[in-house]
Amino acid sequence: MQNTKKRNANLNYDRYGYLFIAPFFIVFLIFQLYPILFTFKTSLTDAVGWDKILNNSIIGFDNFKILFSANDVSKLFWESFGNTVIMWTMNFIPQISMALILASWFTDSHLHLRGQGAFKVLIYMPNIITAATIAMLFFSLFSYPIGPVNTLLQSLGMENMPYEYFRKVWVSRGIIAFIQWWMWYGNTMIIMIAGISGINPSLFEAGMVDGCTSRQIFWKITLPLIRPILLYNLVTSLVGGFTMFDIPHLMTQGNPNNTTNTVARFIYQQGFTGTYNFNMASAASVVLFIVIVICSLALSAMLKDRDAVPKKKRGL
Amino acid sequence: MKKFLALVLASMLILGAVSFAAAEEITLNVWSFTNELEGMITKYYLPKHPEVKINFTIYPTDGGEYTNHVDTLLAADAASADAPDVFTLEAAFVKKYTNSDWTADLKELGFTDEDFAIALPAMREIGQDTRTGVQKGLSWQSTPGSLMYRADLAEKYLGVKSPEEMAEKVKDWDTFMETAEELKEASNGACKMFVGPGDIFNAAKYDRKQGWVVDGKLVIDDSLLDELDLLKTSYEEDLDAKGTAWTETWFAGMNGTNEILCYLLPTWGLHYTLKPNCVPGADGSMSDDEIKKLSDENNGTFGLWRMTQPPVPYSWGGTWIAANAAKVAAADDAKKAAIKDLINFFTLDEDFLYQYAKDSGDFVGSKTVVEKIVAEGGTPNPFLGGQDHYSIFADAAAIASGKTWTEYDETIDRLWNDEATLPYIRGEKTLEDALAGFKAAVSAAFTGISVD
Repeated sequence: MQNTKKRNANLNYDRYGYLFIAPFFIVFLIFQLYPILFTFKTSLTDAVGWDKILNNSIIGFDNFKILFSANDVSKLFWESFGNTVIMWTMNFIPQISMALILASWFTDSHLHLRGQGAFKVLIYMPNIITAATIAMLFFSLFSYPIGPVNTLLQSLGMENMPYEYFRKVWVSRGIIAFIQWWMWYGNTMIIMIAGISGINPSLFEAGMVDGCTSRQIFWKITLPLIRPILLYNLVTSLVGGFTMFDIPHLMTQGNPNNTTNTVARFIYQQGFTGTYNFNMASAASVVLFIVIVICSLALSAMLKDRDAVPKKKRGL
Repeated sequence: MKKFLALVLASMLILGAVSFAAAEEITLNVWSFTNELEGMITKYYLPKHPEVKINFTIYPTDGGEYTNHVDTLLAADAASADAPDVFTLEAAFVKKYTNSDWTADLKELGFTDEDFAIALPAMREIGQDTRTGVQKGLSWQSTPGSLMYRADLAEKYLGVKSPEEMAEKVKDWDTFMETAEELKEASNGACKMFVGPGDIFNAAKYDRKQGWVVDGKLVIDDSLLDELDLLKTSYEEDLDAKGTAWTETWFAGMNGTNEILCYLLPTWGLHYTLKPNCVPGADGSMSDDEIKKLSDENNGTFGLWRMTQPPVPYSWGGTWIAANAAKVAAADDAKKAAIKDLINFFTLDEDFLYQYAKDSGDFVGSKTVVEKIVAEGGTPNPFLGGQDHYSIFADAAAIASGKTWTEYDETIDRLWNDEATLPYIRGEKTLEDALAGFKAAVSAAFTGISVD
């Protein structure tokens, strides 16, 4: 009797564990896994319009064929794809360089920077504001012909003003990339600092004792050891970059001439404007998903820690 | 629990049996996208109809939330208890629903052609199913357009002294452009004729003989090419302010920071856009006197505006009420009568519309009520220097047509601006390329519209 009681107590104790993780799995199953599977299914159907979202028929890979052949839809899709890659690159290279520089300064024991906390907060700040607000802010700042930036430059005596920023391809892309950079370099920096702080200080001390310069320490000790963190940053930024939607959508609506249209905006346009082509939107989402998976795998292969190979053999 | 349920069921049966004998309670589900109709129902409708109970549901139109809810529910089970009996439709999506089988033929509810004749023509035409000509929606607000202009600038630069003279100066698009040139010369380029492409397009699209899509084919009416020419000339010769609606440039002309002569705005534009922006710091919650005081102190434009007829009669916006076809088909006579009564009350009931127009100053959708108000001397408006805006809107409403509206307008209008108008008038693309880009964008957005 006492034995069973004890066993029961143990069992109950185990069940509590499941209860604690249940909320995540329930939410994940309903709001993430199911929609993902539903998207995969919809991409194979003729679901155009709300009335066909549930009552549709499977038509195979025709939607993907449209995306990979020459027509108005695929042209828009691949243009958007190119824009996304361009704007992501324009934002990511400065972002990771800036974050690395700042992180190495903040963690450099030689420099002993003052007011680190304040600077970290200031640099991180843009990330707290919602993207929608920032998009509207920049839209107003650069508005034409009357807007703060135009007025300022005119009052400084610049000629050829006012300038129509959002009708110029590279200016529009540049502003979007700048916003992405400005919003996210603080976040990347914090993660880098965390990564660098996780390195055993005795390695730096050993380096210093051996007469390394700060630059050598950075390239030979810090950078190799934060490779997993770099990988994490690259992958999250890649996913975030490929799904870029809010800033271009609210600020430029893909203008001028679809040069700032992103894949996520293309999916939105197909799915929620016009005839509600849910099938094409889903197919584009699946293509995007596959591209992201391939890029992430390629990145992790590139940045894999060579010493970790034996571990993998052990099945870890 | 079971006993309780049984009791409830039994009492419902009894109530049901009793109900057809005496004053029965009828519940109507009403869906809308603002609380405006709810307020009107509570204030005007329910006191007169104690037997009706209204379940009101609101979803905002932002991001298509309202239409998504309506669409999913109607697609899943249009006759379900939760589905709306009556729902309101905004200009952006009214045609999508009237041109579908989801909205009921109003004659099934007992309306007649004579009833519809009271409605203003544009509003009535927009509420019809384009496929069959059947009346499916009626409007309570009508939104005819006008041309609002700065009387002081018109007099200073053009010597125009009255709205009638101004109407002569903008009687068609050619004269409108001549006036713009004259204005440029007289003001030495300081005063612009209008803000930008959007202002012109909203009116110019009423020049079209056909809507965007006819028999599944995209139609670019010749009048739209004329509009592009007009806008290109205007852009190249600096006749307009090169701005867009709802931006700083647009408001700067309203509050007098910059000199812009004309705004093509409909009914709501007068009270909700122009007036609250006639001086920095004003807002919609202030009374006329407060805005006037602020405007007088800060060089605002209160009292400087006048209204006249635009180059082409147009309409911008509006709200329609329609009934859910599946619920009407399933309804008994009493419920049908209640649905009819609700729609009738807000769109055709002269006593109510007269009262509502007097209370709110809104421009209503009934011809007879509008005529009655105009006959009584209209609504002298201090913002317009005492001019009566009701009679101007009445003239515009009597001739504006809604025949070219299609369910594709919202998306295609935007694509026309982004893909054709701006690239062409800014000189980024030739006309051919701009039109080809526009066609490609339409073809990508709409399955089943041919663009050749």
